[in-house]
Amino acid sequence: MAKGPGYRMMVFMSKRMIACDEASFLISLREDRKLNFRRWWQLKMHLLTCHLCRKYAKQIGELNCSMEVYREGCSTESCTHHLSPEAGSHMEKAVSRELNAK
Amino acid sequence: MSDKKEHKLDPQKWVERYGDYLFSYALGRVNDRGKAEDLVQETFLAALKARQGFRGGSTERTWLTSILKRKIIDTYRKKYSSKESSFGEHEGTVFDGDFYRGEEPFKGHWLEGMGPNSHSFLPEGELEQEELMKFINLCVENLQPQLAAAFIMRMIDEEDSDTICKELNITPSNLWVMLHRARLRMRECLEKKWLS
Repeated sequence: MAKGPGYRMMVFMSKRMIACDEASFLISLREDRKLNFRRWWQLKMHLLTCHLCRKYAKQIGELNCSMEVYREGCSTESCTHHLSPEAGSHMEKAVSRELNAK
Repeated sequence: MSDKKEHKLDPQKWVERYGDYLFSYALGRVNDRGKAEDLVQETFLAALKARQGFRGGSTERTWLTSILKRKIIDTYRKKYSSKESSFGEHEGTVFDGDFYRGEEPFKGHWLEGMGPNSHSFLPEGELEQEELMKFINLCVENLQPQLAAAFIMRMIDEEDSDTICKELNITPSNLWVMLHRARLRMRECLEKKWLS
């Protein structure tokens, strides 16, 4: 059977296809560093064919948004938690004990 | 001209001025009031011991926060050095048998139910901030300690990877794997929480 450029292309592609485990790793990795071309391309090709990983990528984006909300929320007043009065006075005592010991 | 440092640090006022702030900071990372209180108290005592070293380059609050930060990371570090580190066993393997098929056919594909189920795990419309905070806390708490430490430093404290690797004494490739695993679990955990 003649093995034309189409066939060779298929072999070339399939050797370099990645499964969901690698794809989801790359989806995480690209958050932290730039992917090299090969990995970027592999991920692109995988996402074209895999709806689960497309969903996964979307949700990782949502995780980022959530963490952003979390970080901002915790720097505003609305998310301030208060020490209980007992814990506060306990700490004050501990601090002055330490100060007086010097 | 009596001792300039004394003007910059005022330990008597620490609890009153920074108690709630530090407590909230700790609570956002350990999700346990008792533990958070202990950490804040330890921070004050450690700061008293180290106050000679305070150079006044930062504000009192920033300085105390940096001490608290180290204490929080230490608690996670202690947790995973006391237990057998499960990360060590898998070192080198990126992929996690809990999530993907280990055998042909479809080796490496999502295991049934472990991939994303819904299209989106964020609720429609305005994000319910309070609920989100609660869920994130619970999910971080569910992570293995070493994953939690890496995830907190990267996603909450926004540290760069060099700093995290140095703090946790790991290589960058360990870190990428740990963050990947943490994200897998956080995604799964948050999806379950919103759907329930």
